[in-house]
Parts: sequence; C-alpha cells; structure tokens
Amino acid sequence: MQNKEESGASSEFDDWANFGDDDIMQQQSDIRAEEAHKVPFVADKEPLSALASEYQSGSPILLEKIKILGEQYAAIRRTRGDGNCFFRSFMFSYLEHILESQDKAEVDRIKAKVEECRKTLQSLGYADFTFEDFFALFLEQLESVLQEHESSISHDELIIRSRDQSVSDYVVMFFRFVTSGEIRKRSEFFEPFILGLTNATVEQFCKSSVEPMGEESDHVHITALSDALGVPIRVVYLDRSSCDSGGASINHHDFIPASGDVPNATSVSTETETISPFITLLYRPGHYDILYPK
Amino acid sequence: MQASRARLFKEYKEVQREKSADPDIQLVCDDSNIFKWTALIKGPSETPFEGGVFQLAFAVPEQYPLQPPQVRFLTKIFHPNVHFKTGEICLDILKNAWSPAWTLQSVCRAIIALMAHPEPDSPLNCDSGNLLRSGDIRGYQSMAKMYTRLAAMPKKG
Repeated sequence: MQNKEESGASSEFDDWANFGDDDIMQQQSDIRAEEAHKVPFVADKEPLSALASEYQSGSPILLEKIKILGEQYAAIRRTRGDGNCFFRSFMFSYLEHILESQDKAEVDRIKAKVEECRKTLQSLGYADFTFEDFFALFLEQLESVLQEHESSISHDELIIRSRDQSVSDYVVMFFRFVTSGEIRKRSEFFEPFILGLTNATVEQFCKSSVEPMGEESDHVHITALSDALGVPIRVVYLDRSSCDSGGASINHHDFIPASGDVPNATSVSTETETISPFITLLYRPGHYDILYPK
Repeated sequence: MQASRARLFKEYKEVQREKSADPDIQLVCDDSNIFKWTALIKGPSETPFEGGVFQLAFAVPEQYPLQPPQVRFLTKIFHPNVHFKTGEICLDILKNAWSPAWTLQSVCRAIIALMAHPEPDSPLNCDSGNLLRSGDIRGYQSMAKMYTRLAAMPKKG
C-alpha cells in the first residue's frame, strides 16, 4: 500500500488498472487488521457507565435508556465488529457460563445436541472432513472449561483463547455450520423469514449469509442457533426509538428454543416465562455485545 | 498452519478415494508441497469450451479453510469472468462468499459451472463480457471456441 501511495501520478493510474480482486481482498484484510488493534475479538468487562460515556454528547433518548439499562445490568463486554460479533458473543458468554456454573448436566445436554447437529449436516450431504475440525475444537473448549481435567482452564485462559484467532474463529465457524444445518433442516419453517430479509432461496441464504465468516447475523441466525443447541438467548435492544407514552423503555426479546429440553427447565411447562436465559446480549443496530445482569 | 495441513491431507485422501467419481475433474497435489495443487478440468458440453481441457493452479493460504484458495486458469480461456492475461477468476465463493464447507474439489465444480454460465455483468474480460451483454452470442461463442482450440486442445500432427 505504502509503495502505491508514494509512486508518481502516472504509475498510480497504472496500478489502478492492475488493481485486481486479490488487491481488494488484501486491502480488506488490512482494514480488518487495523480494526483489530482497536477492539480484540472479545474485550475486557467494563462497567455500564463506559457505555454511557460513549454517548455523552449524543442522543438524550439513548442516555435515558442506558440509565434504565443500569437498573438491571451491571457490566458490558464488547466484541469486535467484524460481522462475527453475534457468534463470538454467544461463544464467550456460553463458555463463561459453564466455567462459572460448572453445570455438568448442561454440558452433557449440549453435547447430545452437538451430535444431533453433526447428523443433520451429514444428512444434508456435507462431507465430514469439511466440518469435523470445527466441531472438535468446540467440544475441546467445552471440556476445558469444566474443572475436572488436567486440561482445565482458568477464566484468564478462556479470554486468551477467545482472542486467539485459531481458536476463536474455529468456534465461530462451528456455530455457523450448526446454524446453517438447522436452517436447511427446517427450511419450510425458515423460508418466510428469509424471504423477508432477501429474495434468496434457503440454500442460497445459507451459502451466502450464514456459512461465510464475517456475514452478519439476524434474527434468523439467532433463532436457528438457539433451537439447534437448545440454548435460550436474551437480546436487549438499544436504539433511538421511543414509545408513545413519552418515557423511554428498554425492550428485550427472548429466543426460546423450539424443542422442549432447555437447560434449567425444571418442568415441562410450556410457559416460556419460566425460562430465564443465561446468555444476554446487547443489540445496537448492526452490532452485538455481551451484557451482565446485576 | 497445522490445521490447514491436516484439512488438506483429508482432502487429499478424499480425492484419492473418489478419483473416478467425477471424470471431469483431475485434481493433483504437488509432490513436495501440500499447499500447491493443480487441476485439469474438462470444458462442459454444449459450451464453446467443449472438448477442451483446462489447467487450474491452486495456491492454498495458511489460514485455509477459513480463507479461500487462490485459483487461476493456467490455460488461456476467453470467458467474461476470467482475466485474459493472468487467468484470475471472478467467482464469489473464491472471495467474500467463501466458507470451509467448500473443498478444492467442489471449487473445481463451481468453476465448471461458471464456464457454462458466465456472469457478463461482472467481467474481468471486458471484450468477452461486452459481446454477451450486447447480445452477440455467436461472436462470443466463436471467439471462445477459437481459444479453446488454440489453447485447450492437443495440437494435431
């Protein structure tokens, strides 16, 4: 890049003529590398006041809403805005929950779900070798947050791994495979939602908007991941909208898995009210971060 | 690096096992470097590339399969989405639509599909793209056929 800028005007023009797709991809990865210095894949936990200071000179509605948010939530953990933020937030939040709760029953439950996802992909015609490395790496992380093995890891180590591309991106990709498999398996259910987002077929949508790294997630992705792994997810919305009554309020939406066997569900009651998600994400238009309740 | 090597080794074994499964594709790994592959693909029938055999060069990055392989035509080809001089290919799955669900073998299949279904609205070869966009199918086909004969078929005599 430097060389191109320094070279003369005429040769610069020549450079543009030879500016191929590879150069564009190189430029994109340079931009990403620059962004990487600003926010790691998963940042440190910050008090909610850090969020308020971000909007200090901004919209009063947002400041009002952040104040209300502060009544229920104590802290935020940012993730990098690289298009993978939903999956990355989910990854860290889930593994952190297991590390802190040591909920072995939950680990056994999700492992069974992961095996179902594996079968789903196989039945959809995916060759095992295309996805098995990603599955193996997720299962490895799951084992290591349980404190009963020699390979067990600390909270600090979890953060280090979540910032290590060779672990973090592989786990994100694992979730992308799981999400894609779920959408394609239940394509009739997801089709109308996908048609609402784009005019692609279910298969095209999965190929272009779910499986490639860096493609942003929407409610379709969240629903599919939550259903496939049986993990409820709460998404708290923070935007400029205000309600008619004038006062600001914070909306949230709980994604409750379609199947009955959700973690911590003590009864088979169909009342979704009784399920409280242990994963809470803060959504601001275009981005997801992790929220910590008080 | 280790992950990409392991994945490529699996693909290598799969290619050996499925050798006869796809007679239009012959994918070969370099003897000394698993990150370098070449492929011979047959021009699809009922296209100007029919009867031709085209050589592709794969350079696989260390981040594979999170990042796509770089693929170029080594054989000269007249096609809207292939750079006439460099052989660079304009195909979404080799760029931003890449995912690890693709393999070197399925990339070859996608390239064969692209040969049969050119996308003249995103041309790397503008001459070729303009012929198609202006509706001169005959002109496009005869140019493409000529280059297939010149570059992708065994020389007679």
